[in-house]
Amino acid sequence: MTSAGEVRLRGFTWRPLGRRLPVVSGLDLTIGPGERVLLAGPSGAGKSTVLHALVGALGTTLSGELSGEVVVGGRVGLVPQQPGDSVVAERIGRDVAFGPENVGLDRDEIWRRVDRSLEAVGLRQGRDHPTAALSGGELQRLSLAGVLALEPDVVLLDEPTSMLDEDHAASVREAVARNVADSGATLVVVEHHLGPWLDLVDRVVVLDADGQVVADVDPVTFARDHTTPLGDLGVWMPGLPAPQPLAMDPELVRPERVLPELSAVDLDVVLRARSLRGTIETRALHGVDARIRPGQVTALTGPSGAGKSTLLAAFGGLLGPTTGRIEGVEPPLRRRRSAALAADVGWVPQVPEHGFVAGTVREEVAVTAGRIGREVDVDALLAHLGLDALAGAHPYRLSGGEQRRLSLLTAVAHRPGLLLLDEPTVGQDRRTWAAVAGLATAAASAGAVVATSTHDRDLVALADEVVALEAGVRR
Amino acid sequence: MRQLVVRLNPLVLVSFGFASLLGSFAIRDLPSAVAGVVAYAVAAVIFLPSWRYPLACLALCGVSAGLVAYSAWRLGNSDHAPVAAMRILVLAWPGAVAVGFVDPSRLGDYVAQGLRVPARFVASFVAVLQRVTSMTTTWQQVDRTRRARGLGPGRNPVAVVGHAGSMTFAMLASSLRGASRMSIAMDARGFATAQRRTWAEPAPWSRLDVVGLAVSVALGAVPVVARLLT
Repeated sequence: MTSAGEVRLRGFTWRPLGRRLPVVSGLDLTIGPGERVLLAGPSGAGKSTVLHALVGALGTTLSGELSGEVVVGGRVGLVPQQPGDSVVAERIGRDVAFGPENVGLDRDEIWRRVDRSLEAVGLRQGRDHPTAALSGGELQRLSLAGVLALEPDVVLLDEPTSMLDEDHAASVREAVARNVADSGATLVVVEHHLGPWLDLVDRVVVLDADGQVVADVDPVTFARDHTTPLGDLGVWMPGLPAPQPLAMDPELVRPERVLPELSAVDLDVVLRARSLRGTIETRALHGVDARIRPGQVTALTGPSGAGKSTLLAAFGGLLGPTTGRIEGVEPPLRRRRSAALAADVGWVPQVPEHGFVAGTVREEVAVTAGRIGREVDVDALLAHLGLDALAGAHPYRLSGGEQRRLSLLTAVAHRPGLLLLDEPTVGQDRRTWAAVAGLATAAASAGAVVATSTHDRDLVALADEVVALEAGVRR
Repeated sequence: MRQLVVRLNPLVLVSFGFASLLGSFAIRDLPSAVAGVVAYAVAAVIFLPSWRYPLACLALCGVSAGLVAYSAWRLGNSDHAPVAAMRILVLAWPGAVAVGFVDPSRLGDYVAQGLRVPARFVASFVAVLQRVTSMTTTWQQVDRTRRARGLGPGRNPVAVVGHAGSMTFAMLASSLRGASRMSIAMDARGFATAQRRTWAEPAPWSRLDVVGLAVSVALGAVPVVARLLT
């Protein structure tokens, strides 16, 4: 008999279709009703897989080989890793209403919950705001609002604050804590940055790279006894200093052609979410002046929706400004043909999957270099980012953090002079973080212009320059 | 006047497509064909708030209309070619335009509450429609990434066509993969166990909707009337 909010895994094993070895094998984990658990572990340890098991997606929606017992009592709500996946409606109010509709609530109660949940996550644009006009971080909060409105017995969160700045992340954690305290729901959070969550949970479970439980303790013992061993394993233990960027052979990232300084001059960008029922214009950037220089890492910071990704794309000539201009590189990147653009630009998009075109990780890394006729040492690059064991895997079959590292390699392998990284450290453990940060700093030292939009305080600390944005304006 | 169409309920909007579809079957000769096309063109000028979208739809429907006319002409039926072309326009164009104004969630409300179609089916249908409307954003992202990776098309027209093909394939792959992730996300918001589903918004019929439906039926009847009169 299972009571509402209970979670039980016995000998849980999962081997996704197309992978030779199981991602998780023989996992035993029991969580009592109302328990609040933080699930941690290195990138690729199978944390998201456990959440997918709990929502019943393994062997049904996702194909592969499942064995062992998975039991969940009561209603489950999941905030997925890619927040855009859970959008089901055109307007944010209607989107949040989806869960309450599914459980058959009456209209008044539905809208009460919608308003309360939107308020709780700090989305104040109003019920009719189009979902298409939201940024990555805003979508993440919308997704959480949708789950809170459902009032589930088991709340599952997959890196729910990965794209949020400190303030929004704190308010999201507070909203989760309040909601879980009020409803007595069971909570399972997957996060890389454990520190801020430790006050909120009563148990920490750590998986190692093979999906085995290596620690299962209360937060106090966890912080006291496990800091060094788990820190070495790659877990972001609170109290540890930021890892040292991993040194890298500068020849791997030395630009073929060093670019001059790039400047954005009085840049205005208006993004249009167009539908026939009306066009929503979001002023992503307004009168922005900024400079990015060769030999430096520039961090673009600011709350979600501040225009960081937009500025990054504008610098790379991937998006045309509404008014204003980008100066410095001739011919202007915006007017170049694709191959000529790629010769000077490497870009890591926010959703890494959008860039993948090859059948294996190894081929993927070499694509751009092959296109513009440059040599590339694929094995050395893969080894630096810890992807060598996955060289033959299909890019789509990697975990979220692994895909992001692969995306970084596809951007840097052809040694462009301008490297634009949109949230490159999301989903990374301490070790892979050190490799990512090492790559960015090595490229800058070798003469590249490196710009990154990020919420990651440790990455900002490494930057030579910081461009702070808020609501599309330089702060 | 030209903003009214935005306030019509989605069933009325869809009815424009159905009425024109049925009406197109009555197009057999030049007078009925011309009457049908002119009636919808005039209605578009009077009622639609923007030009670009209906013209884009017209261009796309024009391609198939042109192909039909061409094959009729090649088969030696050159008198019939313009009629066949116009029939295709009346059949496809009004529906294509009207559907563009439909908000998927509102269509779901009306189909489920007004027409009593099973709730789970409607909810998943709405979610899929929503995915289609968000496809432009995905296309933009994929296109941008490929451009940055040197995989964009060059000046060569053959390469441009090849690029469009490979983009379409990428979109297909992305939507298939997106579909499974979306289905997980939906199930994990109570959809897996939704037995008795409710709807956040009602599905009322206003006086404007009734007038809209009458206009839709009248437009569909134009080719029929033209045929009876000639």
